[in-house]
Amino acid sequence: MKDIADHIFDILENSVRAGATEVQVVLSFNQKRFFCEITDNGRGITGNEVTDPFVTSRKERRVGLGLPLLKRAAESTGGFLKISNLKGGGTCLEFEINLAHIDAKPFGDIAKTFIDALYCWPEVRFSVFLREGKERKLAIFDSKKIREIVNNSEIKQKEVRDFIYNSLAQELKKIGIDFQFGVSLS
Amino acid sequence: MKNLEELKEIREKVRKDLELRTGKHRIKIVVCLGTCGIAAGARETMNTLVDLVAQSNRSDIIVTTSGCAGFCEQEPMIQVYIEDKEPVVYGKVDSKAAKEIFEKHILNGQIVEEYLFSKGK
Repeated sequence: MKDIADHIFDILENSVRAGATEVQVVLSFNQKRFFCEITDNGRGITGNEVTDPFVTSRKERRVGLGLPLLKRAAESTGGFLKISNLKGGGTCLEFEINLAHIDAKPFGDIAKTFIDALYCWPEVRFSVFLREGKERKLAIFDSKKIREIVNNSEIKQKEVRDFIYNSLAQELKKIGIDFQFGVSLS
Repeated sequence: MKNLEELKEIREKVRKDLELRTGKHRIKIVVCLGTCGIAAGARETMNTLVDLVAQSNRSDIIVTTSGCAGFCEQEPMIQVYIEDKEPVVYGKVDSKAAKEIFEKHILNGQIVEEYLFSKGK
């Protein structure tokens, strides 16, 4: 994985493959630490060995590298990766990365991650929130609302995707995530 | 998102062009987007293809995604399904390769040997 945005896309793909129809992402960024929580209503995980590369649910190959790679990317910066089943079904995954650490991966274009997810999996509802302070959550992206406005052929148009991308990128700047000028670490 | 109203305006703009060309999909391009594909840059390949399709004004081509196909070392991989023809699988398809495959194979039916991984079922 080139950057953290790729990792997030990979986790979203896990959720989709687990049959999720709703995926919620909460992002926060403060004091150089990037925190991300992804919850879905998929079929959940079995056991705690998901971060073991030799445990996977797929049949095409016998290794699963997505989660172990993310675990290492997070832990090598002094962060963490936690994954658990939710009571009502589904999975909750949290990770934290210290972006100021020398071993931190480049951040990447996280707005693009969600635009790609919106295009790839039209039947899944992705919502993104920013966490400011302890409790306050700010909704910045809801694929269901977007899909109510634009249909499948409209979303293929670059103009449409660029517009959604730009407005999402604008929202992410609120917590200091800026693809063009880098994540602010000051 | 606050800009949903503005999004509606953009939609109206592109909709006018789209109305004329709704039809059946005759060509399907599948981009493998498992962990291996993502790590190899398949999202870029996918975006290149989606843009090329939009630019070509062809309504009979669709770009979709799948998971890992089991040949991770060949990623980014794409599968090309053209109606009445055998499916073709390409490996190591970066943006540049995607452009070439799109122009030669998708638009002109000519298989690009350089990136060919397999033919047929």
